[in-house]
Amino acid sequence: MTGVAVLLLAAAIAFGLSKWIHVPVIPLLMLSGVGLKLLADTGGVELPPELLSEMIQIGLAVLVFTAGVELSPRRMRGRTRPIVIVAVSQFLLLGVAGILTALALGYELLTAFYLGCALSASSTLVVVRHLQRRQQMFEPYGRLVIGVLLLQDVFIILIMVALVKSPDGLLASALGVTKAIGLGFVALGMHKWVIPFVTRRFKLDDEELMLGALAMLFIFSGMAWLLELPFLVGALLAGFALSAFPMNGLVRGMLGSLSGFFLALFFISAGAFLTLPSLQMIGHTLVFILVLILVTVVFVSIIAEAVGYSTRASIETGILLSQTSEFSLLLALMGVASGQISIELFSLIALITVSTMTLTPFVSRNKVAWSLMKLHPRYRKGEQTCETLSDHAVLLGFGRSGARLMQYFIEHDIKMVVVDDDAAVIRKLIAKGIPCIQGDGADVRSLELAHCRQARVVICAMRRTRDARPVLDFLKDSPTKVLVRTFEPEDIKLVEDAGGYPVQTVRASTKTFLEWLDLNLPKSETA
Amino acid sequence: MHVDELTLLLDLGLIVTTAAVFALLGKLVRMPSIVAYILAGMFLGPLFGVVEIDHSLELISELGVALLLFLVGLELSLQKVKDVGRVGLVLGGLQVLLTALGGFGMSWLLGFGLVESIFLGATVTFSSTVVVIKLLDQKGVMNRLYARIAVALFLTQDIVVIVALTILSGFGGGAGEIELLAMLKSLGIALGGMLLLLGVSLLFARYLLPKPFAWAARSPDTVFIWALCWCFLLVLFAHQFHLSVEIGAFLAGIAIAQLPIHEDLHRRLHPLMSFFIAVFLVTLGIKMDLSGLGSILPMALVLSAFVLLVKPLIVCFILARMRFSEYTAFQTAVATAQESEFAFILLALGASTGLIEGPIVSIGGLAGVITIGVSAYMIIHSERLYDVAKRVGMLAPLRAKQERDIETIHERKDHIIVVGMNALGREIVKQLTLRSERVLAIDTDPMKLDGLGAAETVIGNVEYESVLEEIGLSKARLVVSALQIEDANQLLAHRCRAAKVPCAVHAFDVSVVEDLLELGTAYLMMPKVDAVVEERDVMEKEGLLAT
Repeated sequence: MTGVAVLLLAAAIAFGLSKWIHVPVIPLLMLSGVGLKLLADTGGVELPPELLSEMIQIGLAVLVFTAGVELSPRRMRGRTRPIVIVAVSQFLLLGVAGILTALALGYELLTAFYLGCALSASSTLVVVRHLQRRQQMFEPYGRLVIGVLLLQDVFIILIMVALVKSPDGLLASALGVTKAIGLGFVALGMHKWVIPFVTRRFKLDDEELMLGALAMLFIFSGMAWLLELPFLVGALLAGFALSAFPMNGLVRGMLGSLSGFFLALFFISAGAFLTLPSLQMIGHTLVFILVLILVTVVFVSIIAEAVGYSTRASIETGILLSQTSEFSLLLALMGVASGQISIELFSLIALITVSTMTLTPFVSRNKVAWSLMKLHPRYRKGEQTCETLSDHAVLLGFGRSGARLMQYFIEHDIKMVVVDDDAAVIRKLIAKGIPCIQGDGADVRSLELAHCRQARVVICAMRRTRDARPVLDFLKDSPTKVLVRTFEPEDIKLVEDAGGYPVQTVRASTKTFLEWLDLNLPKSETA
Repeated sequence: MHVDELTLLLDLGLIVTTAAVFALLGKLVRMPSIVAYILAGMFLGPLFGVVEIDHSLELISELGVALLLFLVGLELSLQKVKDVGRVGLVLGGLQVLLTALGGFGMSWLLGFGLVESIFLGATVTFSSTVVVIKLLDQKGVMNRLYARIAVALFLTQDIVVIVALTILSGFGGGAGEIELLAMLKSLGIALGGMLLLLGVSLLFARYLLPKPFAWAARSPDTVFIWALCWCFLLVLFAHQFHLSVEIGAFLAGIAIAQLPIHEDLHRRLHPLMSFFIAVFLVTLGIKMDLSGLGSILPMALVLSAFVLLVKPLIVCFILARMRFSEYTAFQTAVATAQESEFAFILLALGASTGLIEGPIVSIGGLAGVITIGVSAYMIIHSERLYDVAKRVGMLAPLRAKQERDIETIHERKDHIIVVGMNALGREIVKQLTLRSERVLAIDTDPMKLDGLGAAETVIGNVEYESVLEEIGLSKARLVVSALQIEDANQLLAHRCRAAKVPCAVHAFDVSVVEDLLELGTAYLMMPKVDAVVEERDVMEKEGLLAT
């Protein structure tokens, strides 16, 4: 009990720090584990190795299982092609880059494989938390990122099977992977038929759901063990079997507290196993981090744009995927357990993971994406027809509702020009023959190019309402009306004070909702 | 690092899988899960000897007990104590006293020794809060008067249990120390420690915990880990005074219960507790010594008869004297007709301190299994039981009031639930309350629930079934979700469809529309489309569209 309390205290400190300095909690948990070990060593106390080992075992199972529960094919519906292309390319490119770098640094081939594979997966836990905080989970690029992450988890598990079996030869590795795929088909059968039947047939309460889900985890892990596969294969597939809607939603709430508890203790325990880095290890870590960030940001951005995403979304995808994963740790742990890699190499992979996860919130700031967008080639063809415009409409920020407004202006025979900073959006507009300017809507030069002072109306549909301020200042003394889309109540006054018309998105939506309510569920009828 | 040695995982796998199978089979005969878990343990241990209890399983069981007591404490806000105070204290005090005396006397008459009779008396005294609340909840009667009286009674019993555990932990040195002076000294240390812990935890609750917890309130994961850390730190603190894990955890719970986030925390911790406590109950079954079943069965049956018949009679009698109606008295009494899970803890503690021996634990445990199983059926069919008892005149000697008690049932009905207090959610709540609708706003972030005027507010996550029950989803007129979380919206739409309640959901992106329509969503709120319409209206009004 004392051991658990001490681990929880370390976790509590890490969580508090994470909230305070806005850094993902996983690296802080691991660092907390390192600190705990150092404290224990200094005080001549031994952290109970059995407890740490058991927390790692249970934590691994829970980690992989909860990842599996999110593996619903529904998440990829309608986006399978881009997700598969981005996931496979990133995995292969980073894997190859990692292996070559490791070989160049003097590592053996098997070790280089472990390093390459560890480098090629990105962290689902960190990225999902980041997307949730920014409310971008379900934006097109958020969906792309999540799809890529989930596929990477599957790749890592299959590679883990192959690597763990590799001492027995290529055939054993291939057989292992085949068995894992076979077990995958059993899970698919459960996912498609058994679980939906159980959901329909039985009304299970919270406790039964949780117990049933955990029983599934252990049954699949047991089957994996019988097939001489790592038990984590079973854990992932058990999660996948449960990922059918609505079962995944039903068990998510139940498993949330279990995974919160065990994962915190898992990362602390994993941190306590790390060795202190030597100068050479730090140097190697920096090299790997550089390769990881360069390859991911550059190649993922290019590939994502090539499969149809906007430039900004592509760059953000690249940036968000530029860290190693908790699954990298898992792979390294299995490597240590099978004796294929040393504890020092595990520490190196952990150091890369801790560093890149810590960097994630800093590199994924808006500013970084904006500055990288400037490196993209500009398209100026759309500006040619802007010269003669007057009494036109200007749309600042095409976004997802730009097409509707464009259609509306066409119907009213009003000329319009779009200002957007996204190269991919501009390229598409040029192809459609729409006058457009690639640039920042809040930049005076763009506004001048769009002849905003001569326009009848300027519609600001930019992501941040505060970006409308320079536009309103620029058009203060002109007859042009400026409509600004607002989202928060405090933005309304800001726009009104600056002489604009606030278009209150939330109020508009509430108004239509209330109209529907009056029409379909009038109070007197039901109350 | 020995991740290849998976003994604990293997044992846990067997325990969880067997428990799940037994719970599923038990469901078919409406057996409460607690009984199913103990039976699963008996299957794994005494019957087949597949699992042996080791240090790690003991630790998990201990964590389960600590969490159970932490959750019991977490329900005890001072306000709640005040609300149910008088009835609970009078009924609880008398019931505990009379039942304990009755149980002790019966055990003494059956030939048990003094200490053994004390333990068996204590064992039959308490009822299972977890089992009964679960069953009453399953029946949908949690807001009935008798259910509230039962809960008040159980809370009083919980406090007595804590005192009993404190006294027991005073016997930490073992059976050899039951000399008056030593016992008083142990009792003094235990009670003094308990008072000190109570003082410390209440001082922390008043002055030190509110600010950090309020600061962390927007990060549920942080609050969750901090609460657990607080719980186990107090457990360690209690250990310093030779107090049990249970006391530390219970007092830690009381401290957190005074904070506004306690209800949400309770819901978040509940699944974790359920897991650990399931393992605890299975291990209890594993440890059960069935070798002398033939010899312990008669004793266990006598004890069970006492719990199933005499204990409810005592409760019924007291409530009738307190001027409650015959119906209320009967229904409350039926709810008390079983042993508590604390009985197992008490017996286990008694055995570990050397005060009692294995067979006593087995007798108490077996009586627990029997009474929990039988009473589950009694609670489920209590209305029919009442009719039968009334018809045969069994209740006449009680001379209880025949008119039913007036019950003011606070039931949420025909209300509109608005989920997610972002700008859209808050605006909807504002407009609906202006129209005098009964609105219930829910969010996981307490700060977002501030300043919502007449609307009722609940802190919680709609992914939990218990939250949906609390907010009265099945009786709502409409459910509105302003959330921008696809998974949560889909699940909510699914649950609304199952409950036949219309729902309006925020379709924040075109990609979510198809699934929401498939789930039968009545209305999709699309602010981006509405904004375009609004822009068009403004342009028309301002004459900006004339060519």
